[in-house]
Amino acid sequence: MIRFLLRRVPSILLVIVATSVIAFLLPRLAPGDAAAAAAGPEATTEQIEAIRVEMGLDRPLVEQYVGWVGGLLTGDLGQSLQFNRPVSELIGDRIGSTLELTIAAMLILTVVGIGVGIFGGSARSRLSRLTSDATNTLLLATPPFLAGLLLIIVLGVAFPVLPISGEVAVLDDPMIGLQYLLLPAVALAVPMSAGVARLVQSSMHNVWQQDFVDLAVAKGVPRRRINIRHVVRNSLGPAVVALGMRFGDMLAGAVVIEMIFARNGIGQLAVTGVQNADYNLVQVIIVGAVLIAVLMQLMTEIALAGLDPRVRLGA
Amino acid sequence: MATNTTTVSGPGNGADTTGPTGTVPGPPARQSGAGAWHRYASALRRPRGAAGAGLLALLILAAVLAPILFPNGYDDQSSGALAGPSAGHWLGTDELGRDILARTVFGLRTDISLLLTAVPLSAAIGTLMGLAGVITRWLGTGMQRLLDIILGFPGLILGMTIVLVVGTGWLALFLSILVVGLPMFGRQARAGLLVEQEREYVLAARVLGVRKRTVMVRHVLPNIVDPIVVNASVFMVVAIFIEAGLSIVGLGIEPPVPSLGAMLNTGARYVEVHPAYIIGPGLVLLLLALGFTLLSDALNKAVLKR
Amino acid sequence: MRLTGKSPALAAAAATRRTERDWSADAPLLQVRGLRTEFATDAGTVRAVNDVDLAVQSGTVLGVVGESGSGKSVTARSIMRMVHAPGRIVAGEILFDGRDLRRLTEEQMREVRGREIAMVFQDPQSALNPVMTVGDQIAEALIVHGADKRTARARALELLQQVGIPDAERRISEYPHQFSGGMRQRVVIAIALAGSPKLLIADEPTTALDVTIQAQILRLLARLKDELGVAVLMITHDMGVVAETCDDVVVMYGGRVVERGPAEALFAHQEHPYTADLLRAMPRIDEHGSGNGNGGGTSRDKVSRSQGLPAIPGTPPDPADLPPGCAFHPRCRLAEDQCRTDVPELLARTHSTNVDGGDRRGGRAAACWITQRGDAIPPLPRLIHAESAPAGNSSQPAASRVATTEVGAVEPGTVEPGAIQPHAGGAARPGSGSPMLAVEDLRVNVAADRRTLFGRPDPVYAVDGVSLSVAGGETLGLVGESGCGKSTLARTVVGINRPSSGTVRVGPGQVDATTAGGVQSLRSTVQYVFQDPYASLNPRRSVRQSLDEALEMRGVPRSQRAGEATELIRRVGLNENHLDRYPHAFSGGQRQRIGIARALAVQPRVLICDEPVSALDVSIQAQIINLLEQLRDDLGLGYLFIAHDLSVVRHLSDRVAVMYLGKIVETGPVDAVYSAPQHPYTVALMSSSPVPDTTARDRERIVLTGDLPSPKNPPSGCRFRTRCPIGPLAHPERQICVEQEPALSVTADGQRAACHFAGEMRPAHGS
Repeated sequence: MIRFLLRRVPSILLVIVATSVIAFLLPRLAPGDAAAAAAGPEATTEQIEAIRVEMGLDRPLVEQYVGWVGGLLTGDLGQSLQFNRPVSELIGDRIGSTLELTIAAMLILTVVGIGVGIFGGSARSRLSRLTSDATNTLLLATPPFLAGLLLIIVLGVAFPVLPISGEVAVLDDPMIGLQYLLLPAVALAVPMSAGVARLVQSSMHNVWQQDFVDLAVAKGVPRRRINIRHVVRNSLGPAVVALGMRFGDMLAGAVVIEMIFARNGIGQLAVTGVQNADYNLVQVIIVGAVLIAVLMQLMTEIALAGLDPRVRLGA
Repeated sequence: MATNTTTVSGPGNGADTTGPTGTVPGPPARQSGAGAWHRYASALRRPRGAAGAGLLALLILAAVLAPILFPNGYDDQSSGALAGPSAGHWLGTDELGRDILARTVFGLRTDISLLLTAVPLSAAIGTLMGLAGVITRWLGTGMQRLLDIILGFPGLILGMTIVLVVGTGWLALFLSILVVGLPMFGRQARAGLLVEQEREYVLAARVLGVRKRTVMVRHVLPNIVDPIVVNASVFMVVAIFIEAGLSIVGLGIEPPVPSLGAMLNTGARYVEVHPAYIIGPGLVLLLLALGFTLLSDALNKAVLKR
Repeated sequence: MRLTGKSPALAAAAATRRTERDWSADAPLLQVRGLRTEFATDAGTVRAVNDVDLAVQSGTVLGVVGESGSGKSVTARSIMRMVHAPGRIVAGEILFDGRDLRRLTEEQMREVRGREIAMVFQDPQSALNPVMTVGDQIAEALIVHGADKRTARARALELLQQVGIPDAERRISEYPHQFSGGMRQRVVIAIALAGSPKLLIADEPTTALDVTIQAQILRLLARLKDELGVAVLMITHDMGVVAETCDDVVVMYGGRVVERGPAEALFAHQEHPYTADLLRAMPRIDEHGSGNGNGGGTSRDKVSRSQGLPAIPGTPPDPADLPPGCAFHPRCRLAEDQCRTDVPELLARTHSTNVDGGDRRGGRAAACWITQRGDAIPPLPRLIHAESAPAGNSSQPAASRVATTEVGAVEPGTVEPGAIQPHAGGAARPGSGSPMLAVEDLRVNVAADRRTLFGRPDPVYAVDGVSLSVAGGETLGLVGESGCGKSTLARTVVGINRPSSGTVRVGPGQVDATTAGGVQSLRSTVQYVFQDPYASLNPRRSVRQSLDEALEMRGVPRSQRAGEATELIRRVGLNENHLDRYPHAFSGGQRQRIGIARALAVQPRVLICDEPVSALDVSIQAQIINLLEQLRDDLGLGYLFIAHDLSVVRHLSDRVAVMYLGKIVETGPVDAVYSAPQHPYTVALMSSSPVPDTTARDRERIVLTGDLPSPKNPPSGCRFRTRCPIGPLAHPERQICVEQEPALSVTADGQRAACHFAGEMRPAHGS
């Protein structure tokens, strides 16, 4: 197991280093003059030059990169060009909101995805199988933002029961905070849970065909117990992998959901950063997002090892 | 995952399993002989396949006929802004007084043109990257690492990165879809390659001395293509989401050209005063994604037998 | 119970127990009457089991034997009411201990499963839940029937010990993947025994296992039967296993019982032509075959070449498309008009029930119009060439073409000009000619990519210093268990794997095949016949396309390929109508013929046959073996014939090499090795192989302990010492086996063996 994780280290490092290089090169790859773009259309030549020096664009590339990465590692994330504030401050202000959203959505995703999957995989009556299949297919075709807009129309506009715009930190005021959090988290998680559910369901379907299920039947194990102890237990591995893989999508989805529900999260920050060519800010967000997604994948693998002795003990 | 292994099984698992012999009870093993098309066509005979294909045919037809259906185009601002549904404008008008239905259909046109160019190209390039290992092992491993890096980027983040480089517009959407798809197709192709290379008939051809390139074209590629095609249909849905996702945060196509995502972007701003605004583009987007989901389900079952 | 190693006292106790039961209740433990199981498919209703009657007495073993599609496994599942959808039991009674299982509710049936009837499955790799410890899986069988957890756990430990798992206290909390195949099957058996069932249904319990492990498992089953008095219903395709383990036999064909009776009586005398022919068609480990027998100074002329095996023509029927009348009639040489229209009933045969206990155990019965009249079954003759024709093609022009003369030379004119010509070596004395293939000190690292954590290469030599040679017209048999490296060796010879060291030389010129120029002669000299006839043909390419590809490699111009392809397909016993079909239209045996035709297309001198018949039904095996023999003798081909079945190897080979863990441990002329094996591993292999003859039951058997060690970490000194019955295990003073690797050296009987104590162990013939 430890051996297995150690083997993953080089490829993880590679992805992270490569990401940092790509993020670093962004302002240099962009067409035209990054400094001019960052300074805005009405800037004078002097102002552009000042920004060029401030961004470090006048130094050799390798030196710039080493300096930038060194800064990232020591916590100096640079200065936002559009807000004229340290990037670390901007992110610090907003990260709570995004964390709330993704954690809530991840919880919903896990419960709904695995729950619905197990329901579909255990269903014996034609009607319940058909219903779960149809719901699944529909949700698979629904992007989170569409679900969000729909929720806004139904629960915000037509029957205004929940707030649809803005936020209150859950830690400040749990009751109100949760009310604000509920719709965005549901919008983000529920459509995504269809993919997880479908995976769980098809993997359960496969496990039902396995010889060891036959052996359990031959032992006289009741159907319910076979379903739980043998079938569901063997289907959780794929489910965990699916959850880990979707975490990246969830980050991306959070960007859109924050826009729709007017939440002040990292997503909005990123979007305005891209729109205003605030390279210093966007670079950090990109590296951070990739870092989190990769770490989540690693966590998935650890969880998988916990579930499957063949991985844990080295088959 | 491969298509034509010995998927012959008897009635359930109850059949004798002592050894694969010719006489296998149950339905005739539907293995691919000559008719690859036959298998694809059989997907359309499944209820999901028929529904998906029908839906898609309808949407594509509407997109193609858009200039005929709406001779005034998508930018005709002759009516009042933000009007509700009426006989003249079935879905009402937008903030500039343009017919929402016309813009939806033209937006669909944009989306479909994106999908039908970017996805096949992504599949082709991704497959080639996955197969690079045939040339030298080193190249194959290198390509896989490159795909790993791309895979590290969550879809929309990758899109934003691309927007930063090339700016907003059709090209950024096109490239985003293209690049996001590469790892999926590349890994699939490589996995297929590794399996197919070890098939006994491939080994038999090698033992006969058949040239590597001929073995690839004759024996290996045909069996890799099927899963790629099926996956492309799955990826269509992802591509739709990418277009809409980038557009909805304002990084999509430049006005005044409509796309489904861009319309949702503006529509979302008026959701409280004019909820009907987002219904048209939202529903069409949903139907488009649904069509591909249903079709890919049927293809999965009919072509890949899973 | 007939396996040796039983203690007389136990056997006696079992016998008493049985008698007592018989006194108390005369009815059999399980009585199946008129069982009919059907599958609803797209192509219509398939009747997989049709009017099957069988009975199992307490404490006895009933063997149900049949080829694929005979319905034997569906019968077993029907008894357990575990037929998978879309299968359904539509008629019949399943009387178990006086109750009809078909009438029980699902909950009542669940109580029967595991507690009264238990099941052992074929593949131990997939029959255990990978994420549950073996202890939990055994205990579950008790818990679901009401035991508490502590008792269940204690009993699980006891069961593990009972089925012979060493170090059971530790291994009880291990997972299935930590067990070898044989050990897993022991666990499966432990699970089956957990509820102390009265009947054990074993569905091909040893088919997935190697022969030495099979012997272990069969011995275990026999011991448990004697100790616990459990009755066994043994499903198998292997007549040898039946002869060695069963008291009574039921033979199934096309979903019906065609013959039944006590094992001794049935093996002594058959009442159905199918049973009779099947037994005749099996090569025997204790019988000379077609090999040239030139070992030990005997000339090959002494033993006539190409005796061939008596073969049943055609293929077992498809249950979805059974022939009318007697299902066997298309393949039966005795068939008459009535056989083609009327299904014969399974009727008692009184004239042969005078063998022990016949009456009590249900007696002899057979379903045949011919023998019902009292007509005897003449023995199936050898070398009826029409028999090599596949089913459904009554006229086979190819038949006469592949016929051979006694001396094995092809008569001039039987082969068309430009077609496959016999090589010069063909008529020459095999073995005495120059080798067409010579392998010298070959080592193969199958883990070239493996690295330790610190990047050091971590080689695994699956083949470790093997030398052998094959001359034209000669067959070298290579035997060994799975994992011994025989397939890796074969694949390395033809260039699929790369050797780490050693040489492969081919052709009369002995060109080094690893050089750039040598590859060309390798391709044209050595060809490969694969094991799995389903995987070795590209499903997307017609037979013609497959053959064309090979002919193109030989440089045959496009215009001549059609003629050549026709010639090839006829030579392997098919005809030109088959050329434009795709592989899925063929049966396994036919596909194997096509694979052989493809290999022949480049006119090779040597064929490497990698288990070419092991995936085929017994009745098909003989056809393919005969074909290979004819081709060898017609064309002067040399064979490297790889197999795990010692009988097949003996039948076909001139010389034999026995492989263990990457090394050849014994090699020599086939008769010398089979009659006087020198290496203890060879002795053990031979004595583990089941013989389809009940009179051979009581022979002494050497059952090896343990499993094949991993080639990653082979034992020091002699690699066999960890399982050797005469090595340090039995004689602790023999440290030489641990310290020194034995070399392959000539022994008194003429063959070479790699053992410090070669010849010490001798097979015991008879009892």
